[in-house]
Amino acid sequence: MSVLTGSPWLVALAALLALGWALRRTRGSRRDWFFPFATIVLVLFGEVLLARLSPTLARKQLVWICIAFGIAIVLQPYLARFRRIATVKYTWIVLSLGLVAATAIFGERVNGAKLWIRIGTLHVEPVEIIKLLLVFFLAAYLAEMGDAIAKARWWSLRANAKYLGPLFLGWGASIGLLVVQRDLGMGALLLCTLLTTLYAATRRSDLALGAAAIFALVASWAALHFPYVHERIAVWLHPFADPYGAGYQAAQSYFSIAAGGLFGTGLGLGHPGFIPDVSTDYIVAAIAEEFGWLGILAILALYLALVRRAVSVAREQPDAFASLLAVGLAATLGFQVAIIVAGVAGLVPLTGITLPFVSYGGSSLVANVLLISLLQEIASRRPAAERA
Amino acid sequence: MNQRSLARISALFTVLFLVLAARFAWLQLVEAPQISANRSNPRRSFIARGRGRILAADGSVLAATEGSRRIYPLGPALAQVVGYASRRYGTAGLERAYDELLAAPTLSANPLQQIQYFLASFQRFAPQSGDDLITTIEPKIERRLADLLSRHARAAGIVLDPRSGAVLAIASTPSFDPNTMGTTFAGALHAKDSPLLDRALEGLYPPGSTFKMLTASAAIDSGRVGMHDIFQDPGYLMIGNARLHDNDYEATGAGNIVKAFALSSNVDFAQIVLRTGASTFYRYLRRFGVGGSLDFQLPTARAFVPPESHIWAGELAQMGFGQGALLVTPMQIATIAATIANGGVEERPFIVRAIARRGKILTRTPVGPLDSPVSAQTAAKVTKMMEAVVAWGTGTSAQLPGVTVAGKTGTATNPHGAPDSWFVCFAPAESPRVVVAIVVENAGYGAAVAAPIAREVLARSLTVITK
Repeated sequence: MSVLTGSPWLVALAALLALGWALRRTRGSRRDWFFPFATIVLVLFGEVLLARLSPTLARKQLVWICIAFGIAIVLQPYLARFRRIATVKYTWIVLSLGLVAATAIFGERVNGAKLWIRIGTLHVEPVEIIKLLLVFFLAAYLAEMGDAIAKARWWSLRANAKYLGPLFLGWGASIGLLVVQRDLGMGALLLCTLLTTLYAATRRSDLALGAAAIFALVASWAALHFPYVHERIAVWLHPFADPYGAGYQAAQSYFSIAAGGLFGTGLGLGHPGFIPDVSTDYIVAAIAEEFGWLGILAILALYLALVRRAVSVAREQPDAFASLLAVGLAATLGFQVAIIVAGVAGLVPLTGITLPFVSYGGSSLVANVLLISLLQEIASRRPAAERA
Repeated sequence: MNQRSLARISALFTVLFLVLAARFAWLQLVEAPQISANRSNPRRSFIARGRGRILAADGSVLAATEGSRRIYPLGPALAQVVGYASRRYGTAGLERAYDELLAAPTLSANPLQQIQYFLASFQRFAPQSGDDLITTIEPKIERRLADLLSRHARAAGIVLDPRSGAVLAIASTPSFDPNTMGTTFAGALHAKDSPLLDRALEGLYPPGSTFKMLTASAAIDSGRVGMHDIFQDPGYLMIGNARLHDNDYEATGAGNIVKAFALSSNVDFAQIVLRTGASTFYRYLRRFGVGGSLDFQLPTARAFVPPESHIWAGELAQMGFGQGALLVTPMQIATIAATIANGGVEERPFIVRAIARRGKILTRTPVGPLDSPVSAQTAAKVTKMMEAVVAWGTGTSAQLPGVTVAGKTGTATNPHGAPDSWFVCFAPAESPRVVVAIVVENAGYGAAVAAPIAREVLARSLTVITK
């Protein structure tokens, strides 16, 4: 890979930072090997794939790898004291809404969606950070109110409104703003995370199903009233109806996937370059073409192992907040993978979100490395050693 | 924390990811060939890369890849049969029928092929190109046949080896040049006379008097008509209120089945088929595979036979001399003649003899008889009738010096204009090596147009295969 050999110092720096991130630990903690191992494998795989798809993006991603692991190392002492997050829970929701609003005002419009803020030469996607902040708020709020919500009868409007009101207001506002900004993928991801965590905290499946039903109604209303949603659904249902127009990207993705077959063409031997935006939204199709179904199976297995490990971390926690934080992060990671993979596979309409660690995208990488760092801290901390 | 809800969330993700894996399995292992075949797939521009060759019986090339282009040395002569593999227009002919074998293994969307390729890659020489097809086509016969047919507007011809069923040559006019598909395809697609159509395999024609081969076989083999039964031909025959007559109202007078066959009397053959009876005649139609689907390596059209339950005497009489609603392909007429030539045994026709990889034969097409529609005695008697056609009957224009030719003319009236000119023959009559069937659309008498072409092709075929 010429891009990797072209900037040996940067590669060395990235490797050093990744290693430092994986090995650094605070006093008195257990070491969890699986999280850093899986993360580094995925990041490395993504970088190799990007180097093959677009050397320019691979070089940029290399800088982002350094930044992401650098930030994670710097923030690690703070992440280690993650229980403090719960003490300032409303800060996170205010910060989230502020960031969403800032994006709406200062953001740059790309492909019809206003998702990026430019800081110098870097393009930052604030929503990647928002997804973490919202999990902080969610876990903190539910740790406190979860039992009350669990006890509330489903027909008791007052009790439900009282306990669920702030939650749905904050999250509803975030999701609504994202939908207005045309970031449907992130909106769907936040919704799935909310429902999963809510279920974990309260075991009330009526809440999860009810909220899902309301969202489905809103989504179908949006499908009828927003032309861009309408068009996406048409492409989803009939990808080959207009293979040189609206359906071009979807059709090319299907050709790529079909070309992969069982074993794939081998790295560099396929033609995923026919797909526009293959390095971000459609990187799954590139994996399918060059590594085949076995490659898809391997990468899905790795993500599933990460998610299941994260949920089992939640099960080990003695306190509700740590447990809900872990399960919220697990759901964020798991659904982000599921939504983009299902979108590329044509099971749901495609929404533009990244495949964590693998797709090109700096903000996504930073946010997901932080997500794993936090999970690792939750996993390695004994509650007794914790002084919040 | 609640352990049960967390366990359920864990299970939810497991199910979700299994669904995703299953969906990819469906896309990549089951639907992949159909998806890949879509016209707008840009990967199809690599169709020629590493693609196997299609070879003639003598080893010469019928289709091969040079650089990134597919070349067809015989050009229009064999265009419909060999077909084309075009990045814009897909595949046709043998290029389509054997696409998965010809395609380079690296390009295959078939999971079984992929597994084979994967296993082969552990051996020292992994195949980089697709397999070769070795056909039974004799280029020298093929060129002659195509050349003679191309002098007419619409015509088809086929040459078979009756002993094996091998197709030695096959041609259809008008044709197209597969070497210049990029510029000529659109024109060929919309041209009035459908050059893309393989008339020899998919053209449906009234067979006219060539069908008397089958009528005579059925009458003799069933014992309904004896060799010495005398029929009267006053030039016409009344069946109910319908009047049926010979070509140009000529009357052949009194005579047995051999004379009726040699002089091609429609009136006599109407009486012969009526005496044979509809159920017996239909039984022989089925034995010869007329109206059934032919087990062949390329698509062929199924003959149209009016349903037996709707047949009445007038219709049956017309079918007896190959008219009425009956429609058959030239391939069908050739296989009927080949069955007579081969002593009543029909060999399964084939055009791909073997599949080879790097010069070594991988698989051979299994050859063997499909059926034995009539006895050897019947076949010998019909052969005698066909010899009489060429010796002193309607087909004298097909005589060859030093060789006994057995044949049958056909002048098939049709609603599109002048009659179709047919001739089907085989030689040497004592021990047949070659069957030739020719149809020239709207060209008139079989003896005048098709028979001389058949004679030339027969002469060329005999020199090629007995060399």
